[in-house]
Amino acid sequence: MTRRLSHPRGLALIGLPAAALVILPIAAVVWRTPWSNFWSAISNETARNALTLSLRTSVIATLLALIFGTPLAWFLANSNLRGRSIVRSLVVLPMVLPPVVGGVALLFAFGRRGLVGGLLDDWFGIRLAFTETATVMAEFFVAAPFFIVVMEAAFEQVDRRVMGAARAFGAGPWRTFLTVTIPLVRPSLIAATVLTWARALGEFGATIAFAGNTPGRTQTVPLAVYSELESGNDSALALSMLMVVISVVVLVALRSRWFGALRRGGE
Amino acid sequence: MSLVMRCRFVREAFSIDVDLSVASGRVLGITGENGSGKTTTLDMIAGLLPCTSGSIRIDNVIVDDEPTGQFVQAEHRGVATVFQGGGLLPHLSIDRNLVFGRGRTLRASTRFDDVVEAFDLRTLLARKPHELSGGQRQRASLARAFLSPSRILLLDEPTTFLDVASRGVVRRLMKQWFAIYEGTVVLVSHDPDEIDDVADGSARVRVSRGAMTEAVLSVA
Repeated sequence: MTRRLSHPRGLALIGLPAAALVILPIAAVVWRTPWSNFWSAISNETARNALTLSLRTSVIATLLALIFGTPLAWFLANSNLRGRSIVRSLVVLPMVLPPVVGGVALLFAFGRRGLVGGLLDDWFGIRLAFTETATVMAEFFVAAPFFIVVMEAAFEQVDRRVMGAARAFGAGPWRTFLTVTIPLVRPSLIAATVLTWARALGEFGATIAFAGNTPGRTQTVPLAVYSELESGNDSALALSMLMVVISVVVLVALRSRWFGALRRGGE
Repeated sequence: MSLVMRCRFVREAFSIDVDLSVASGRVLGITGENGSGKTTTLDMIAGLLPCTSGSIRIDNVIVDDEPTGQFVQAEHRGVATVFQGGGLLPHLSIDRNLVFGRGRTLRASTRFDDVVEAFDLRTLLARKPHELSGGQRQRASLARAFLSPSRILLLDEPTTFLDVASRGVVRRLMKQWFAIYEGTVVLVSHDPDEIDDVADGSARVRVSRGAMTEAVLSVA
């Protein structure tokens, strides 16, 4: 007999298929990756273009989420306005919306015949759809809600006493925000940024609908994986393997960040 | 008169009426059960919450007045606060907590050194708040309030979570300091002995929920 409080016998076994369904495909990618010509498979023109485009657009989309999402998250956490819960629901909608529907929505808003896109074209000659800008917008649309949700929770957890102390001891509202609130949410800020970047990097549905799949212009890594798979190229597997590696790195980074945030929050 | 407050605070089913006036150099003790509105009262004086109706004057200057809409922001009220649990900024060292909002000139002054000595903080200056014991944190919090140029000093349960020995130390420091402090002190404690020991006069705050029965607090 083991000397400890007993568990429901066999419960964990029922969970095995779930673990298998997640782990087996990843293992298959590792197994099928063309390791011998891995380097050439990710350095041909299609793969190279996709990688640089993905890196550039996902970083820009993440920076935009950081710059505009932080104030919005702060507003959602601190405002007493009535419209707050409606704004929150709308902002996080892309998290549950199928990304391809998001892409269609972006097309109807910013496409040439779109709500705003038509005016942009008529007045300024700006066409957004099927450009690199559209790729960034699609990634932002899908990824920014993750940033906002994490940051809203972080701002809500900041001790009001601490911010009140900063005010009482002479710091104005901006100074309190910049030198007290932001340093206190820093672990969450880093975690949210990494999570958002990972989501932007993996974006597929909204991008293909709003930005298209033009190699060298709007074909990001996920789109390239899809296209290369269709044409039976090794690049599909090599790029997939690269995405798996990036995901693992992100997870490890997030893990330590999350635990760090929890430790600090517990004090 | 240094602090005059005639305020009602209402939030949902929670309401308190506070009516008090305290002269400079005096120490007012406020007691009341948990959830009775003691902290809310301090927050209104500090400017962290506005009165729902009524007004607050500090040294005859209106800092909160519902009828005219006047409201002086917390950082301009000259109210130093010792928050429950210390309220130290968790990401800054004790040294930087002590001079927060006042900068290097204060750190270079002899006053800074005197206070650090009196509160026995010399060896703790480089540490972060979470590395200190409850008693050490409370000493740092008192020192920070003491260093702050203020007309009103608010203390919210300064000894509640301390062990007996630290409680004695903090109480002794408070008494030493109140004796020379020129402004008005408002001390919140649920411990009647502490109020008797430290304060000149006392009052109770009582919240009314649901039915708006009023609990009035008044000290001359």
